[in-house]
Amino acid sequence: MMGKELSIMHPRPSSIVAALYTLRDLNVDVAILHGPPGCSFKHARLLEEDGIRVVTTALDENGFVFGGRQELSSLLEKVNEMFKPKLIGVVGTCASMIIGEELHEPVLDANLDVPVLEVEVHAGYPDNTKGVLLTLESACELGVIDREELERQKVLLREATLVEKRHGAASRQYLEPSRGDVKYKVAERVVRLLQEGRKGITIMNAKKETGYMFADISAAVNEVALALGRKDHVVNMANIDDSLGLPRVRHHAKCITADLRERGITVHEIIGGMDEYPVTGARVSELIKQKYSDYDFAIITGVPHAIPMEALEGMEIISVTNGPRQVLPLKEMGHHHVIVEIDLHPKTLGVNHIVESEFGATLREVAKDMLGR
Amino acid sequence: MKDQKRIAIYGKGGIGKSSTASNVAAACADEGYKVMIIGCDPKSDSSITLLGGRRIPTILDLLKQHLDVNEKDIVFEGYGGVKCVEVGGPEPGIGCAGRGIIVAIQKLQKVCPSMKDMDLIIYDVPGDIVCGGFVAPIRKGLVTEAYILTSGEYMPLYAANNICKGLAKIDTPLSGIICNSRSVTREEEIVRRFSEEIGSRLIAFIPKEQIVQDCERDGFSVLEKAPRSDIAQVYRKLAKAIMFNDQSVLPGSLEDERLRELTK
Repeated sequence: MMGKELSIMHPRPSSIVAALYTLRDLNVDVAILHGPPGCSFKHARLLEEDGIRVVTTALDENGFVFGGRQELSSLLEKVNEMFKPKLIGVVGTCASMIIGEELHEPVLDANLDVPVLEVEVHAGYPDNTKGVLLTLESACELGVIDREELERQKVLLREATLVEKRHGAASRQYLEPSRGDVKYKVAERVVRLLQEGRKGITIMNAKKETGYMFADISAAVNEVALALGRKDHVVNMANIDDSLGLPRVRHHAKCITADLRERGITVHEIIGGMDEYPVTGARVSELIKQKYSDYDFAIITGVPHAIPMEALEGMEIISVTNGPRQVLPLKEMGHHHVIVEIDLHPKTLGVNHIVESEFGATLREVAKDMLGR
Repeated sequence: MKDQKRIAIYGKGGIGKSSTASNVAAACADEGYKVMIIGCDPKSDSSITLLGGRRIPTILDLLKQHLDVNEKDIVFEGYGGVKCVEVGGPEPGIGCAGRGIIVAIQKLQKVCPSMKDMDLIIYDVPGDIVCGGFVAPIRKGLVTEAYILTSGEYMPLYAANNICKGLAKIDTPLSGIICNSRSVTREEEIVRRFSEEIGSRLIAFIPKEQIVQDCERDGFSVLEKAPRSDIAQVYRKLAKAIMFNDQSVLPGSLEDERLRELTK
């Protein structure tokens, strides 16, 4: 692998941020960034929407020169007092790691009776999954997850990195953002396909909480099929196995499953847990080969580039991503229509129910118009 | 700006940089030059022998307390009117001394207009250039000439050789090698050969004299405490050599094998 790696010229997802999100999935109540006040600010704010507290030791020039042991230990005491957490995470940053800050000593200094996950991480890793890994290793050491889960996650992380390098935004040195195809045109096409009596598969292959919005697209397709009297022409696959993954991830799967059931939508095939998006491809391929090879179209949401093209041979492919830099790679894979759900992620933080997607809403409206005519 | 010498003295830790720097500073002050010495080592002891053994507050001490720092808070006059500044730094093993040097020097430039009036500014830098901060005085264009202090032993020469590599890499000319003797055999010859082979020259040989240590213990330079000693004369000569030196070269460096051969 070495030497063949693409040189990086796009700012990439940060390992520090990846560590923060992983701490959230482990249900920490407070995450402390040990570093400058501006580090990871946007994601820190987003995560607060998701119900965890994110604070910073706010190291300044003095902190860089003299270190921030005292700052970190007193902040630990302060958050313990303020928020009464049951689990705390401490995350390194570039600045604190470069000057050689230790996270363990201040944790000992503070001497809280709350477990503290220490993640010595900076943003200098080419793969941001390193931040997840470091967090999980720390969690395993502290007994928050078991060895088995750690090993399972390691496999998934490796696969996720490969998926991104194969057909993801990391497959190129530079990718321009794109809004993808116009939603109402694609919606029209979907309605037309159903009207013509074509058979379709919805494949939701979502990464964790993003499923709250991608599930809405599966729901919308089913609602339209029902309205057209073609309910049986649609089968649904989704990675919502609620027995797999970190605590919060299982919770998402439970919530989405309940919402879909309430809407009367059957998920015919569970293709994995909500953290298994990089490895569902094989299962999807097998299922299609065995049962659905005569289907005409597929609507793939979430991480569409993880589904191998061979499985979809002969089908018209409509994919929905939340990455504006994912459009070109998907088109090049051979997807016929590619749609971007802009700003999906912020809307799926801090929720327990399916949230409306732009494409879902468009599809419902377009169907109404077309049926009305 | 007037014709100003801005030099840095590099060399292996413990080889005598601070003691050489303060004696040279004192000698130049005796000649009537306006001199400033800026100690860039977190140990902050470059200027101690110019101040009668007194320690002065360091720039970083003050910055740490979020004080509004002015020239009078960080620049202290010592022997012969030499202006003494100490950068300071974190405790050993904590934080980042390199970053400290960068921050302190930026502050000093900002608040110290009298720097411009100096005839000679000596940056007394830590022994090993272990990270970017330690070459900040050079990188930021503050130092125009570098000197290397070494003895004739293998390890100090090894360090000197490494410093040459570093200087070449950052395009900084070397103005000469100073030998601070540790009384090893053929010392002057070894250091002279080394100097010539890297393309520079030996500009002074400072013999090992107990009197330097004795004066230091009392908190003084030789120039102040023992002005009539032979060694004081050596420092005066070195001071003159530095003030009038106009030869500097981008240094080469030797293979380790050659270094070992030289010091055998």
